[in-house]
Amino acid sequence: MPTGRTVRHVKPISRGSNKFERAAWVFMRFSGLVLLFLALFHFVMQHVFIGTHNIAVSETMKRWGVQGQHINIDQIAWRLYYGVTLLLAMLHGLNGVRQVAYDYIHARPVFNILMTVVAIVIGVITAIGALALILGTAAAPGIA
Amino acid sequence: MFAPLVTTVRESVRYRGKEGHLSWVLHRLTGLGLVLFMVAHIFGMGMVAFNPPLHDAMIELYKTPLFSIGELFLAFSLVFHAINGTRIAILELKPELWNQQQKATRLSIGITLVLALPLMGIMAYKSISHFMGAGH
Repeated sequence: MPTGRTVRHVKPISRGSNKFERAAWVFMRFSGLVLLFLALFHFVMQHVFIGTHNIAVSETMKRWGVQGQHINIDQIAWRLYYGVTLLLAMLHGLNGVRQVAYDYIHARPVFNILMTVVAIVIGVITAIGALALILGTAAAPGIA
Repeated sequence: MFAPLVTTVRESVRYRGKEGHLSWVLHRLTGLGLVLFMVAHIFGMGMVAFNPPLHDAMIELYKTPLFSIGELFLAFSLVFHAINGTRIAILELKPELWNQQQKATRLSIGITLVLALPLMGIMAYKSISHFMGAGH
């Protein structure tokens, strides 16, 4: 039942958060530009040059290095590359979800609860990924 | 509570905003899709450190026919979001180009297709030859 007007029950963004919104705007441009190269390189490498059907954990173990073993300079570079990609992508995604959710979910408490949940999920996932990069792959024997 | 969402979906189909509206809708959908995939993907990759069997299971899942189709959408989403995002970022900083929005949007859709179609083609070819191949 179209009413011909949109009633927003959400308060407009306060003056105090202008600084944050500006920082978020700049971050989206900066991270987007960097991810253009980092994420596309990762995607093309895995899906075209290696090929999805050839992906093997042995390659990951070589690239990241294994827990408890000596780590060489190449492995440090790969971990830094994945770490930067991970952080930028997740923050870019979190802010993107926030912007989309803000447009459609006008009840402020619902918006706040949703974004808290989304932030926790993304935070935990980012922490798991970052920890894995810091530790290196498991040394479990018998895996391909 | 979700009335705005319902309105958006209905009006997105009804609103005849042409390519500008299409790219606005696609930017949001591909962005949300990429976030969903990334959350699953990073969890799976993290398991290489904490739960190798679970990590292996994720990698094997990527090699199934369903994911071979899904990764084509992933390729399109990534390329479109990257190129369209670049268009948005450039145009926001260049008010003198604001009377050429439609041209810019068509250009970004064109670049997306030029990059994404060969990428999707190579991936589809790899998957088809994998599933048809004797080595399977």
